[in-house]
Amino acid sequence: MKASKSSATAELPLLKKSSKRAQILANWELYLFMLPALLYFLIFHYFPMYGIQIAFKNFVPSMGVTGSPWVGFDHFERFFNSYYFWDLLWNTFSISFYELAIGFPLPIILALAFNEIASGKFKKTVQTVTYAPHFISVVVMAGMIITFLSPSNGMIVMLIEALGFNAPQFLTDPAWFKTMYVLSGVWQSTGWGTIIYLAALSGVDPQLHEAAIVDGASRFKRVLHINLPTILPTITIMLILNMGNILTVGYEKILLLQNSLNLEASDVISTYVYRAGLVDAQYSFSTAVGLFNSVINVILLVTVNWIARRTSSNSLW
Amino acid sequence: MNIRSKAWKLLMVGGLGASLLAGCGGGGEEAGNAESVTVSKEGFPIVEQPITLTMMAPDVGIQNWEDMAVLQEMEKMSNIKFEYKNAPKDSFETKKNLVFASEDYPDVFYAAGLTASEQLKYGEQGVLVPLEDMIDEYAPNFKALLDEYPDVRKSITAPDGHIYSLPVVEFSQHWYRNPLWYNGEFLEALGVDKLPETTEELYDYLKRVKEEDPNGNGQADEIGISSVTTPAANLRDIRTWLLGAFGVYEEETYVDDNDVVHYTPMDEEFKHYLEYMNRLWTDGLLDKESFSQTAEQKKAKGQNNQIALFSDWNAYMTKGGEPSTEDPMFLPVRSEYVDKAAIAKNRGITTGAFAITKTNKYPEASLRWVDYLYSYEGSLLFNKGPEGVLWEYENEADRTKKYLPVPDGQDREDFRATLTPNYGIPAPTVTTDDIGKGLTTDFDLWVAEETQTKLLDNGARIPFPALFLTVEEQSEINSLNSDLSTYVKQMEAKFITGAEPMSGWDNYVATLKKMGAERVAEINQAAYDRWKAN
Amino acid sequence: MVKAMQESKGDKMFLIGTYIYLCIALVIVLYPLIYILSASISSPQAVNSGEMWLFPKDITWAGYELVFNNPKIWNGYLNTIIYTVVGTLLNLAVTLPAAYALSRSDFVGRGWFMGFILLTMFFSGGLVPTYLVVKNLGLIDTMGALILPVAASVWNIVVARTFFQSTIPKELQEAAHIDGCTNIKLFWKIVLPLSAPIVAVMALFYGVGHWNSYFSSLIYLNSESKYPLQMVLRQILVLQEMSAEMNGAGVSGEIAQAMNSKAETASLIKYGVIVVSTLPIIAVYPFLQRYFVQGVMIGSVKG
Repeated sequence: MKASKSSATAELPLLKKSSKRAQILANWELYLFMLPALLYFLIFHYFPMYGIQIAFKNFVPSMGVTGSPWVGFDHFERFFNSYYFWDLLWNTFSISFYELAIGFPLPIILALAFNEIASGKFKKTVQTVTYAPHFISVVVMAGMIITFLSPSNGMIVMLIEALGFNAPQFLTDPAWFKTMYVLSGVWQSTGWGTIIYLAALSGVDPQLHEAAIVDGASRFKRVLHINLPTILPTITIMLILNMGNILTVGYEKILLLQNSLNLEASDVISTYVYRAGLVDAQYSFSTAVGLFNSVINVILLVTVNWIARRTSSNSLW
Repeated sequence: MNIRSKAWKLLMVGGLGASLLAGCGGGGEEAGNAESVTVSKEGFPIVEQPITLTMMAPDVGIQNWEDMAVLQEMEKMSNIKFEYKNAPKDSFETKKNLVFASEDYPDVFYAAGLTASEQLKYGEQGVLVPLEDMIDEYAPNFKALLDEYPDVRKSITAPDGHIYSLPVVEFSQHWYRNPLWYNGEFLEALGVDKLPETTEELYDYLKRVKEEDPNGNGQADEIGISSVTTPAANLRDIRTWLLGAFGVYEEETYVDDNDVVHYTPMDEEFKHYLEYMNRLWTDGLLDKESFSQTAEQKKAKGQNNQIALFSDWNAYMTKGGEPSTEDPMFLPVRSEYVDKAAIAKNRGITTGAFAITKTNKYPEASLRWVDYLYSYEGSLLFNKGPEGVLWEYENEADRTKKYLPVPDGQDREDFRATLTPNYGIPAPTVTTDDIGKGLTTDFDLWVAEETQTKLLDNGARIPFPALFLTVEEQSEINSLNSDLSTYVKQMEAKFITGAEPMSGWDNYVATLKKMGAERVAEINQAAYDRWKAN
Repeated sequence: MVKAMQESKGDKMFLIGTYIYLCIALVIVLYPLIYILSASISSPQAVNSGEMWLFPKDITWAGYELVFNNPKIWNGYLNTIIYTVVGTLLNLAVTLPAAYALSRSDFVGRGWFMGFILLTMFFSGGLVPTYLVVKNLGLIDTMGALILPVAASVWNIVVARTFFQSTIPKELQEAAHIDGCTNIKLFWKIVLPLSAPIVAVMALFYGVGHWNSYFSSLIYLNSESKYPLQMVLRQILVLQEMSAEMNGAGVSGEIAQAMNSKAETASLIKYGVIVVSTLPIIAVYPFLQRYFVQGVMIGSVKG
């Protein structure tokens, strides 16, 4: 925080003094730095982007992207007119926000906690163990969820019943689907999520802590006023990026946990598209839906970034 | 902008160069001798001069295809060598689409599972070669098959009159879905010697299972019927069998005896089925976990001896242990609404198994090659491998065979998978009872007998023939179905579990109609009428 | 340094609370992990019926035997390691300089470059056109197809940029310029050594991505000898899961029978495969953790 503040003040005179041209010349190497990345995005992302037009076409692989016939907004209409359109939109949004609300702060808290305890076996163990679930494949993950929540012999269900409560029908009750999905996701990705914040925390200036201790600040106060502000830029950027992914809810795990009874809560845009494609690869339709998602995502990202720029010194641009 | 256009140019040049090179490598030499090759119309070798073709097929990853004894033998016999551009079975669909999109066609598709609309689309564009004229000259075995079974010809002929692909023909496989099996131990414990014949008797029996502790462990842990959940389907394994009791042949589309095509979920019969299922559910006779458990969990219950009636290929696969004739096959029951149960039978043909593309320089030779697979000898070769490896003749005249010991104590099926590509993929061939002659066990014979007496003799028939929709029809159906099938699935579960009372039926039907259910039936009716008229 | 200080009562409570919190996290996360390990060596029947809930029951090694008896597995490991190492190096070479450039406020046009890159996060041409680009570059069935199309990720560039922006003091850069240090030298000699944590993070993120990836190999590779570990394991799993596809059409009874015997090991192998494929990469993590120690950076500035 301190560093970025001071840099903000430092750049002002620089900007005024030198003309843009001089700056470009002075920093010509930076353009060289960008070059590989630019080339990469150009070749592997911008060049294929002509493929987006199949959202407005009936894509037949053997006719190619440009050769396939135009159909205008047919695919979009089909999606918007779907009986489930609003349900899908709602489920996608609510799962995403639910996930963000729980899954976003937890890695930050965990990282701050890691940072408080002394390096040693315990720290290493907890860090490694919490990181491990990230590597469990979706299939096994879903399998475990179903096993643990099975009404007849699931571990968690038995535990709840042993405590004298009535266990809900986790797997089939629509009211529980989102919680089940989000909490298992939190379990799987919180440890992994700490990594980025741990790296950011390594930038904390020990001198600040020493000074604060002399001032008699408690540990908790120091975490709040030194550690947290240090990683705030990272937090802000992660939040903005996450907002730009709101409509991107993967289909794999949902599909594996979905059943006819929880369908009304579990069907999201990606599972809907997946099912449509099962019958016949429907490239055009899924591209159209993808395009719709992207537009919404971009709008959200731009909005959040704008807010961030207004309220803090950190933003994507 | 400058950078950008340069990069584009670079890329274009690079791309062009690559494709030019590819063109040179592939075309030059082969095109030269294409003229000189004569394809013999019968016998082997198929061609005098060895030729090389490319093949694309799904691969289960057990053995490299070049090393398979069957394919090596076939190459020796025919003088046709194949280069394999296989894709793993689970990604085959994706790869197939990329192949079409990049115009990087193989000469032939093998076991490709080309859908009807793919055959039509790529056929119309000339990517797939029409086969019907060549079949007359270069596919004597397949032609004989078509002459013997005109329905096969009808089912593989596209609406434009061409045949773009050859099918899998399996007349010895009658099941539409895995059968249901009764747990024999429960039947015995409850002293039941006559299987239920009506829905009421079935209900009573399941009720007794639940109440009278037939597994004798002192706990009321018995389950009447158990089903499983997979991503695409709930109740799929048991639905068809129970629907039959109400006169319905198939869960989505079937044609009744008066040539009327039905969209099952909006029929009154479907309502009767739901009412019955709801009763089973309410009284605890349908496994409460049917909507959430995995196949493995169901199997664990089966091995625990808890389930009275379940679906599987064979009963012992759920119950564990050795194949046993003690667990009888479900005898389709009938409800008070019908005189006899509707029983679905396998179509026996799957289209889209083999196709030839326009880049193939020797379509006649390719067709001759695959035609061998529709003869008894060829089918046998591809099914069981060459004689003397897995099996040998006991009596060649009446085609009786016996198995040879498998080397290194391997599993016989595992070993077979290293010999032949026809393992777990829809390969173009015809399987007849003759192939397995002498190789069947007593258990196999018993299963065949059960199938005969309980299903075939009771009027099992094909619910809806394999037929072609036009590209437009197909895309309309696909688009209607994506909402319809979700809605049906959801409402079926709700009606059965009582989350939605049966009084909501009329609303449900109205919604179905709004979603275009009638249109689905209409399209299928039109397609069926065309098929029938042919 | 801080440790030498006397800790107040409140601080002790806070620390104890932290330990308790971490212990709870540890237990919650550990249980399913132990479950997976146990399930990979227990009889499938015990696992599926819920009898096995913590420690292995009816121990069997059949799952691991099946995995390790597959002749392709070692080749797969080797391929994966090669792809991961080469791919990650390429990723770092593309990502870090770009992220650094974008972090510099005196970099004219960085807003445009950011926009240029960010856009690709949302709009993509899709599978077919991308495949055609890879094909036209002649990369099909080469290692290039696995690493070039994923040479950088927007997300990671942004994360690295944020790190540079917030931890590399502006003064450093100015001082370097006054000393006549070029940007290349500055980046290579000063910024990178100071940024060990982010380099470690990027290496981990990209490395794990390569390690777990199978879709590129599925699309672009034709030769089995080039398959990475994940593809080999998928092939093993596909075989096991074939039984699920039996629905009476197109499958012969014999296959059903064979598949039935395999279904026994199917769930076993599912858990075994997870262990086999992830242990190596989990083992890497503790070695990276030392880069995440507070003050590493500032300490080195001073030293």
